[in-house]
Amino acid sequence: MTPSKNPTQLRDVLYAMSLAKPIPDAEVLDDFIRRYPEHASALTDFAIELAMDAVTSEAESPDTLDETVNAVSPAVSRAMSRFQNRLYAVQRDLAHGLGERSETASIKNPFAVLNRSDFRSLAQRLNANSVFVSKLRDRLIDPSTMTDGFRQHVADELEVPIDVIVAHFAAQPQIQAGLQHFRSDQKPEAGAKQSFKEAVQNSGLTHDQQRYLLSL
Amino acid sequence: MARQLMKQDQNGNRYQRPPKTEAEIDVALAQNITTLQQRATLNRSSPDYISSECLVYLIRDAGRRGDHPVMNLLMPILLTRCEANLCSKIPDDKYQNAAYLREEVLCEFAELFAVDSASENSEELDFFECRFNMAFSTLRIDIVRHEINCMKHVASFPDLSDSDEPTAYEDIFHRVSEAFRGTATPESNMSLRDLHKAIDDLPPDERQAVILCHIMGYEEESEDRNKTTAATLCGVTGRTIRNRLKRAATRLSRFKEDI
Repeated sequence: MTPSKNPTQLRDVLYAMSLAKPIPDAEVLDDFIRRYPEHASALTDFAIELAMDAVTSEAESPDTLDETVNAVSPAVSRAMSRFQNRLYAVQRDLAHGLGERSETASIKNPFAVLNRSDFRSLAQRLNANSVFVSKLRDRLIDPSTMTDGFRQHVADELEVPIDVIVAHFAAQPQIQAGLQHFRSDQKPEAGAKQSFKEAVQNSGLTHDQQRYLLSL
Repeated sequence: MARQLMKQDQNGNRYQRPPKTEAEIDVALAQNITTLQQRATLNRSSPDYISSECLVYLIRDAGRRGDHPVMNLLMPILLTRCEANLCSKIPDDKYQNAAYLREEVLCEFAELFAVDSASENSEELDFFECRFNMAFSTLRIDIVRHEINCMKHVASFPDLSDSDEPTAYEDIFHRVSEAFRGTATPESNMSLRDLHKAIDDLPPDERQAVILCHIMGYEEESEDRNKTTAATLCGVTGRTIRNRLKRAATRLSRFKEDI
């Protein structure tokens, strides 16, 4: 697998550009392209989106972003779950660094080394999306329902031996699917794994992506 | 007193929160979680309303102290604000898989806090403490751009002749530029919103040409080879840019009299 070239820097440059002027103009874009010529294309695309976004926001009624809603929606609840899962993972990694080990932690997770950009890039190469790859990373899919072709596809795209992939999927889930939030200081418990078909059908994948993954 | 931001700009200067946010944080740090939670759920027009910049600080601060109950109380409030924005910015009628895209942005934003609480070197959320709305727009645009990769507006439209006559579209874009300079009256706001939407719905190459030339102020092309123009940015000739503008003008011509 080829990690993306300096992804953090690009995101930082985009943030910096957005803070330079509310609506980026030619002067701002030229300045950033001069500083970061390697990101010229991404900066141009981003500036266009940001300009359109800014003028659209001006025309919209205020309070769109800071709207006050008291009920927690299912999407927010799922985002909290992702937050808890990630928090647990980073804390476990910290503890692992301090010498704590568990049987599951000792099995190498080949997805753990991916940063966000690499993660999305992997999703693209697998012809899937981040939700589906999160399920692979977190071992939420029953490995007995996966095809050999799919496992090989993942191994090829991650550029790791197939044994590593098989061991990873066979290990206990690191998190609980559909975990409700507000319990980050406890280790999330393992829940029932989804079948491969269920995971493909319930991850927001397009019909073409589903057909492709199920055909492997 | 609020912790100093660590992120530096291109000149090596640390980013600074606006003074208003600094003051807001100082007040919030002296309050208990029940008060903060109540304030965070107030309507934005309330004087006690907590800004999103301040909420980001409070959640990060709780994360660094390992105070997960506070994180778990304030995070859903912030995420709910973000979700409202995403529903407006990533509507179902514009994007295939809009619900997935919204959730992906929301989840990735939430994960930033998890990483931040475990790493002293994580500085991405500093931007959100400076200007939350701009930082969140950046995150959203970047993620959507990655996810969609190449957004395809498959609107077929008859190609026009390759005439280089500028008068064919000058008038409508003069009106577009005027409109974007914010001189619209309340009566014309509806038309302006429709115009924004119409520009947003243009095929990507036409939309790109309109925004570069008539919102960002680039020339279509220049005899000076060292000058950056819409043509050089798009990697095409000036003639192609003009043809794209002409096609866009035809699509936008219904706004000619309205704005």
